[in-house]
Amino acid sequence: MRKRSFLTGILALAFSAGIAAAEPAKVLIPANPGGGWDGAGRETMAAFNKSGVFTDGVSFTNKGGAAGTIGLAEFVRTAQGDDNALLVTGVIMVGGIISNKTPVSLADTTPLVRMTNEYNAIAVPADSDIKTPQDFLAALKEDPGALSVGGGSAGGVDHILLALLAKEAGAPVDKINFVSFSGGEILASLGGGKIKAAISGASEFRDFAASGRIRIIAVTGPARVEGLDVPTLKETGIPIEIGNWRGFVGAPGLSAEGRKTWLDRFQKLHESDAWKATLKTHGWEDAYLPGDDFVAFLKSEDARWTTALKEVGILK
Amino acid sequence: MPSSDRRKDKAVAARPWWLGAAVFAMGLLWLHGAQGIASTTNFIGLGPAAMIRMVGAGLAILGMLLILQALRGVPFMPQEEEGADAAAPPSRPAFLLALAGIAVPLATIRMLGFPLTAIFAFALVTHAFGSRRTLLDLAIGAVIGAASWYGFSLLGIELGPFLPVAGW
Amino acid sequence: MDVLHQLLGGFAVALQPINLFWALVGCILGTAVGVLPGIGPALTIALLLPVTAQVAPESAFIMFAGILYGALYGGSTTSILLNMPGESGSVMTAIEGSRMARNGRGAAALATAAVGSFVAGTIGTLALTFLAPAIAELAFIFGPEDYFALMILSFTSVAVVMGSSRIRGFTALFCGLALGTIGIDTQTGQSRMVFGTLELLDGVSFTVVLVALFAIGETLYVASRQSRRAAVVYPLSGGAWMTREDWRRSWKPWLRGALIGFPIGSLPAGGTEIPTFLSYTVERRLSARPEEFGHGAIEGVAGPEAANNAAAAGILVPLLTLGLPSTATAAVLLAAFQNYGLQPGPLLFATNPDLLWGLIASLFVGNIILLVLNLPLVGIWVRLLLIPRPYIYGGIVVFALVGVWGLSTSWMDLLLMCGLGLIGYVARVYDFPIAPALIGLILGPQAEIQLRRALAVSQGDWSVLVGTPIAASFLVIAVLVFFLPMIMTKFRGAVQQESKA
Repeated sequence: MRKRSFLTGILALAFSAGIAAAEPAKVLIPANPGGGWDGAGRETMAAFNKSGVFTDGVSFTNKGGAAGTIGLAEFVRTAQGDDNALLVTGVIMVGGIISNKTPVSLADTTPLVRMTNEYNAIAVPADSDIKTPQDFLAALKEDPGALSVGGGSAGGVDHILLALLAKEAGAPVDKINFVSFSGGEILASLGGGKIKAAISGASEFRDFAASGRIRIIAVTGPARVEGLDVPTLKETGIPIEIGNWRGFVGAPGLSAEGRKTWLDRFQKLHESDAWKATLKTHGWEDAYLPGDDFVAFLKSEDARWTTALKEVGILK
Repeated sequence: MPSSDRRKDKAVAARPWWLGAAVFAMGLLWLHGAQGIASTTNFIGLGPAAMIRMVGAGLAILGMLLILQALRGVPFMPQEEEGADAAAPPSRPAFLLALAGIAVPLATIRMLGFPLTAIFAFALVTHAFGSRRTLLDLAIGAVIGAASWYGFSLLGIELGPFLPVAGW
Repeated sequence: MDVLHQLLGGFAVALQPINLFWALVGCILGTAVGVLPGIGPALTIALLLPVTAQVAPESAFIMFAGILYGALYGGSTTSILLNMPGESGSVMTAIEGSRMARNGRGAAALATAAVGSFVAGTIGTLALTFLAPAIAELAFIFGPEDYFALMILSFTSVAVVMGSSRIRGFTALFCGLALGTIGIDTQTGQSRMVFGTLELLDGVSFTVVLVALFAIGETLYVASRQSRRAAVVYPLSGGAWMTREDWRRSWKPWLRGALIGFPIGSLPAGGTEIPTFLSYTVERRLSARPEEFGHGAIEGVAGPEAANNAAAAGILVPLLTLGLPSTATAAVLLAAFQNYGLQPGPLLFATNPDLLWGLIASLFVGNIILLVLNLPLVGIWVRLLLIPRPYIYGGIVVFALVGVWGLSTSWMDLLLMCGLGLIGYVARVYDFPIAPALIGLILGPQAEIQLRRALAVSQGDWSVLVGTPIAASFLVIAVLVFFLPMIMTKFRGAVQQESKA
C-alpha cells in the first residue's frame, strides 16, 4: 500500500503541471505525445510557470494526425471565443492545410506568436565528392535523378527545401529524387552511403557528424548554428532560408483584450531567463515574432508553400 | 487435415460464398482506388499506386478462389474456443447484446464521456454473457470506468471530459 | 579486461540503493503499462520525461530501462491469459500462449515466457556489453534492398505455417496489407484509400486493429456461442508450474529466439516484430511435435518471447553506440539523453562512462528484478481466470475502450474498432487465422517503403533487389521456405512408395 502511494506521489510530482488553479490555460497539441509539437507545447508552458509569467496552470489535450490539421479542425470547432484556449502550430500545419485541402485554416484562428525555429542542414557521406552547397547544386543540375536525397515525409520542410534548391540550380523540380525516411534510419543510410545526401534538422546531424561518418555542408538559417563550422546557404550566395518554426494561435473570435493579455505574456516569457534556458536545452533557435508581424508571416508562408507543393507535384 | 475432418462430421457444411464475394469486392475497391492516384505525381522507381494495385489484384484472386472453395463444399467450420461450443447453435440475442455493448460508445462517448460509457458497455457485455445482476454490474462498471478515467488522467493520458454535456 | 572492469564500475552505480529503488519503480510501471493495449514503453517514458528535471541522469535511465523491459514482461501476460496482445511484439505469443491457458497450462506458459524473457534479455544485454560496436556496423551495411528481402522472408515463412488453409492465410495477410495502404504515402505525399476522411490520413492505427481483431472479435464470438455446460474451472494445482518436460522443450527455443532477436533488433529498421514472427516459424519447423502448434505448443511461447526481449536489448545498440534511434522507444530515450545535454554515440562511452555502464548494468539488474517479481506473480495472474466469465469479458471491453479512445479520443477509431471487431468475429466463425492480417498490417507498409526506396536510389533498376549478398541470400532462403515443404512431402511420398514396393 505504501509503495502505491509513493508511486502516485511520483506521478503527481511529474505531472503537477496538470493541476489547475483559477483560470488555467487549455492547450491543444495537434500531435501525439512524444513528438516535436508535444515538446514545444509542454516545454513552453513549463517555462511560463518557471518564469512566473503565467502560473495559473495548464491542461493539455493531444489530438494528433494529418500534419496537425485534425487538431486544428477540433480547435476551431470547440474553442470559439475562449480566451484561455491555445493551439500549438507550426510550418508542418501550414503545409498540411494546403496539401490536405482542409476546410478550416489558420485564418480561422487568432494567430498570436512564432516562438522557435529549428533550421535544417544538408549533409553528405564523409567520403562524398560534394564539398560545398555549390557542388550540391551542380550535381542537382547535372542529373537530379542520380542525386538521391533523403529527408522526412514528402511535402515536409526537407522536401520543399530540396525543391527550392533544384529551382535555384535550374534543374527540373519534377525530376528530383527525394527519398522519405523516418527516425534514425536516415543517418544509417547516409553514413553507409546508401543515399547521396540528406536533409534533416541541424541538431540531428550535428552530433552524428562528430563521429566522422557524415559531413554537413550547409545550414538553412539566417545565421550559423552554434558549435558548427558550417556556412549558411545565404553566405554561399544561395538566397534560401527555411526552417521548422513553431508557435501559438488563440481561439477563433478571441477578444481583443484576451489577445493583448497573451501577447504580453509571450513577450515577458521571451525576455525571461527560464525561456532562454529552455531554448538552449532543446537546441531551438529563438524566432520570436508576435502579433501582426506573425499574421503577415503566415500569409507569406502560405504563398511560398502553395507554390512549392505545386512544383514538387503534391498539389495539383 | 484431420481436425477439420473431425469438425466436418459435427456440423452441416456451410457454403459461405458471400465471404469470397466480399473479399473480391474489397479487391475491386482497392483496384478502383488505385486508378485515382495513378501516375499523377513525381516519383522515381515505383509509384504510390503500385502497391494498392497489387493488393487489390491479390484480394480479387483470393476472393474468386474462396468462392470456388465454398461452392465446392470445402468446410468453413467455426474455430474451437474456450467456453465456446463450436457446434452449439449461435445465440443471436447474446451476440446482439455483446455487439450493442461494443457499439454503444459510438452513440454516447462524445456526449456522456468515458466513465458513463464504460458503465453501459460493461453492463451490456456482462448481460450478453448471462449475468443477470444488473445493479451489481452497473456498480462494477462504474468503479472500473471512473477508476481508469482518473488513473489515466494522472498518467497524462486524456480520456476526454468526465461528462461532456455538463461541461465537466 | 577493460570492458569487464568498466562493467563492474557500472554495477557499483546500478546497485546503489537509490538506483535499485528506481529500477524497481521502472519495472513495476513497465509491467503495468505492458498489460494495457496500445500503451507501450514509448508513451510511458515520454510521459515520464519531466522527471528528468528532478532526478539524476543515472537514476532516470535506470528507471527507463526497467520500463523498457517491464513492458515486455507485462505484454506477454495479457496475450497468454486473455488472448489480448498489448503490443505488436506479443502477437505471436498470444497464438500458442492463449491455447495453453485454455488447456489449464497458463502458469507454465507464463513461466516459460518469464524465464525465457530473462534468459534472452540477459543474453541480449551480454551481447550489448561485449559486441555492441561491432554489431553497430551492421546498420551501415544494411541497405533498403536487404531490409526488403528480410521482410519477404518474414512474409513467406509466416504465410506458409499459419492457418488451416493457405488460401485463408493469404486472404488474411492481404486484408492486413490492404489496411496498411490506407493513409498518406510518405514517399509522394499522396493520400491513398482514405475515402475522403481526414482521420484516415495517418493510416489505420495498429492498436485499433489489434484490439478489434483480438479482444472485440473474441468477445463477440464467445458471447454468441457459449456452451450450455457450466464454465470450466482451470486445474490450477495440477501441472501449474513448468514440468521437467517443459524445461526440456523450452531451453532451445529461448536460445534460438535470443539468437534471432538480438541482431535483427539492432538493425535501424529491424524492430521487435520480425524476430518474433521468424522465431515462431523456426520453432514450428524444428519442433518434434508440429501437430501441437495451434493447440498450445510451449515452444511457440518460449521462442517468440525470448526473441522479443533480445530484440529490445538490440534496439539499444544503435542508440548507445551511434545515437541512432530505431524505434519509438529509442527515440524517446534519445530525447531523455538530450534533456540532460547528453548525446548518445561513440563519444558518450568516453565522456560519461559511469552513466553508460550504469545503464548497461541496470539492464542486468532489471532483468533479475523482473524475474523475481514475475515468477511469484504467475500464480496470482492465473487466478485472474477464476473471475466469472461475464466480468472478464466486460473488463476486456472496457480496457479495449481505454486503449482505443485514449489513443487520440477519435470517434473514427471507435467506429473502426466496431467494424473490424465484426470482421474478427466472422474470421472466427469461418476459421480464418488472425495473425497474418496483423503481420500484413505491420510489415506491409515497411516492405513497400524499403522496396520503393531501393528502386528510387537505383533509379528504377530492379536488379538492385538481388544486388547485395545479404539480399540475395535472404531471398534464396525465402524461396526455399516456400517450396521446401512441398518438395519434402513429395520426396517422402516417393520414399514410402519405394519401401512399400
